[in-house]
Amino acid sequence: MNWRILPFETHTAAMNMGIDQAVMESVAHGSQPTIRFWRWNPSAVSIGYFQSLGDEINIEKCKELGIDAVRRITGGGAVYHDYEGEITYSIIGKESIFPTGITESYNKLCGYVVNSLKNVGIESEFKPINDILVAGKKISGNAQTRRGGVLLQHGTVIYDLDVKKMFSLLKVSQEKISDKMIQAAEERVTRVLDHMQISMNDLHKALLEGFTSDKEHEHGKLTKEELKRAKELAETKYSQRDWNHMR
Amino acid sequence: MKSIATKKVAGGKMITVKVDHDNVINNIEILGDFFLHPEDSLELIENSFLGRHVKEDRLEAINRIDQIVAHNGLELIGITSKTIVDTVKEAVE
Repeated sequence: MNWRILPFETHTAAMNMGIDQAVMESVAHGSQPTIRFWRWNPSAVSIGYFQSLGDEINIEKCKELGIDAVRRITGGGAVYHDYEGEITYSIIGKESIFPTGITESYNKLCGYVVNSLKNVGIESEFKPINDILVAGKKISGNAQTRRGGVLLQHGTVIYDLDVKKMFSLLKVSQEKISDKMIQAAEERVTRVLDHMQISMNDLHKALLEGFTSDKEHEHGKLTKEELKRAKELAETKYSQRDWNHMR
Repeated sequence: MKSIATKKVAGGKMITVKVDHDNVINNIEILGDFFLHPEDSLELIENSFLGRHVKEDRLEAINRIDQIVAHNGLELIGITSKTIVDTVKEAVE
């Protein structure tokens, strides 16, 4: 099986969600399985499919700082995606090429992140349901959906993180954002830069190696049809109130 | 009357239930950071509560959700039918 590897690109939150869905649709119609690494510009907060944007996100603060907000097609929690602080990945293929069980498939796919971090000298481990930890602290969150016979898993690798900024964007009462709370979060989350001084480009190279070393693959790009569909989804779904405020 | 309840589940996931009810449940929203495949099937579970008495037997409600999950090939991850029913019960009682 020959995997397609898309270029390391940066898009808006809506466009990134649109690309993931457009590629899922093309894989459902027979296109090759695909891996992509990507960034969010502007930085963004994404919420899980079953969450309420109004309950989870400080929308006014997001507007003030020019931060995007979007609902994902995957479950899981609210995540702050900093342009300078994260590499996100998507892996998309027919369900039949992945382990059937939920934990087994997360274990397999999160293993690519674990391998990648090992490539830069960081020992990490998969922690069910959907986290990757370094010395007990979260460095990566992951989320999966299965639609039309296709599995999508996307996830984060935290390169750098401003915890105080993250809390200002999430719906935590501002009074509660105490030094103690920030310290508690610092104790639960870690960053690549806490362990290894590497550039984001070098981290991308390590991810590329970690995800593809066991696969036949070729570097490609989105087809015209996928790009058109992704733009359409970004405009008509992922930037729309009907979707983002669905719950 | 509108009620809300939130539970943190063993394993770390959160579930919130918002219910509009009198003696029966008129509207319900189940929210949280859990996973359910396929995602849009949450409506099947939510709709199964509509018109039910707020004092519906807990085990009957759990069985009903288990049947919906089994008959439709759903996968609940991070929460269970018990978690959902107990959070609904906490909201309405």
